[in-house]
Amino acid sequence: MRRVHVFFAILSRFLIEIKRYPFNTLSSIVTLYLVFLLLFAGARYAQGFGINVFGEGLEALVVGFLVWTFALAAYSDLSWEIMREAQQGTLEQLYMCPFGFPFVSLCWVVSSFLVSFLFSGALLGLMMLTTGKFLRLPLGTLIPLLFLTLAPIYGVGFVMAGLALVFKRIQAFFQILQFAFVPLLFLPAEAGWAKALPLTLGSRLIREAMTEGKTLLALSASDLLVLLGTAAFYFGLGIMVFKLCERVAKDRGLLAHY
Amino acid sequence: MTAIVVENLVKDYPTRKGPVRALSGVSFQVEPGEIVGLLGANGAGKTTIIKILCGLVRATAGKAEIFGIPADRPEVAKHVAALLEGSRNVYWRLSVEENLRFFAGLQGVGLREAKRRAAELIHFFGLGEKRRVTANLLSQGMKQKLALACALVKGTPVLLLDEPTLGLDVEASHELRGFIRELALRERKTVLLSSHDMGVVEDTCRRVIILARGRVVADDLVSNLLSLFRTRAYRVALRNGLPAEVLAELTPKFPSFRWLPEERALHVELWPSQNFYELVDALRAAGAEIEGLSRSEPDLEEVFLRLVRSEKEAP
Repeated sequence: MRRVHVFFAILSRFLIEIKRYPFNTLSSIVTLYLVFLLLFAGARYAQGFGINVFGEGLEALVVGFLVWTFALAAYSDLSWEIMREAQQGTLEQLYMCPFGFPFVSLCWVVSSFLVSFLFSGALLGLMMLTTGKFLRLPLGTLIPLLFLTLAPIYGVGFVMAGLALVFKRIQAFFQILQFAFVPLLFLPAEAGWAKALPLTLGSRLIREAMTEGKTLLALSASDLLVLLGTAAFYFGLGIMVFKLCERVAKDRGLLAHY
Repeated sequence: MTAIVVENLVKDYPTRKGPVRALSGVSFQVEPGEIVGLLGANGAGKTTIIKILCGLVRATAGKAEIFGIPADRPEVAKHVAALLEGSRNVYWRLSVEENLRFFAGLQGVGLREAKRRAAELIHFFGLGEKRRVTANLLSQGMKQKLALACALVKGTPVLLLDEPTLGLDVEASHELRGFIRELALRERKTVLLSSHDMGVVEDTCRRVIILARGRVVADDLVSNLLSLFRTRAYRVALRNGLPAEVLAELTPKFPSFRWLPEERALHVELWPSQNFYELVDALRAAGAEIEGLSRSEPDLEEVFLRLVRSEKEAP
């Protein structure tokens, strides 16, 4: 029960800060929507020449873009948060949670996922209105699929967070990484090696759920198993690297420094 | 059970030029309900000890425990809260109430209990009018009070305070010292307080641990340390001053004679074999007119300086 109180404390702080910075919140949705409009205009222009840039058409673009926005939040939120906490001097206080900092991070990740879900819902609404393609939203299938698809990216987020603990300023690395996710979203997920990559298989399954209305039971069981395996592998790897970086930071007394 | 146990604690910080030793075998214990001061110059190792006890820095060797729990285990936070960087320990965009509820929640305290504790602390620290104000709009003294309240809202029996009065003006510092003393008495908290401000330690702690170059050079009650350095030193104010020839005449008998021209007073330390009246008689015989007399008492600052200097001079 005490862990639940920790989670609600972190979630409520997350929501209070969103409320305190309304311009930042609003501008992040508007920016993402503008980026989508640019991609959409490009895709329609290419379609005029008979080129299908995003494989399966506009639905693929909408779903791919949606997963990408989730992925952006998933890998950057935690590391940004760690940098910000270290900068303002509150990181050490978070480390003094009796349930350990990994639990605090996990609460942060879940809070961030829930908030991303609300924001991305709004963005999805705007995208569907723009494209005129109305996708299905089977939440019971979408939420677990999204979580499993994003788990490897949360793993990457933990790696970044660990690096942030030791090196503090890693913003430049962020910029490169966000574009590295794009090809992963649109790679054909049929090949075995591609299925083992983060995002690739998950984004295809989400596409199937949103465009064809497939439920979890209707999706290929082996694909779901591979998705679960890659989620556990990358997430576990991320936690391991984070723990290693944390050890270095504690050895060098770097937790409070920025 | 002993609240804090530190045994042969060693900390080397790895650097590119090789390890830098911050602590060299520090040992001490703190019993429940004690307020102990950690006194030392910058770099003496005070903050390192506190951070090891919070589990924020890994010790190279030795033992650090809070109520028998090794400090590097997260569970230790059930028993210990800390004020580490003063006002930087709170969220500046959260109000006083929101900060308190957040830190209570982080400890696993339910919302109803968190609200009750927050209300109690807001009242105790006199922050009632500011409870809905965001921390960035508070004065430095109020931010510091809020940071202390955020450590207290966790309800742990042990409190570690690293330089709690740093950056505060005299009035705010006195007020905060009062709060710390009252808390220790009222709630029987075990407090380990680090500072390089002698006044803060002398004012709030019964016992003091003096650190120099990562070593404990003294660990005793403040009163014992003061009496250890109490000398038979006197300050004698003379109405008409002291002519140089008289001073020269008396110096062989009282080698510690020191004339303080601005105060028109004489500072003298008597040997154990010397009688106080010998001094008075010698001055009267020399024609000096005594205007006032007081005994020079050492303060914690003097004790600290003597101990640290003797440590530096040690091979």
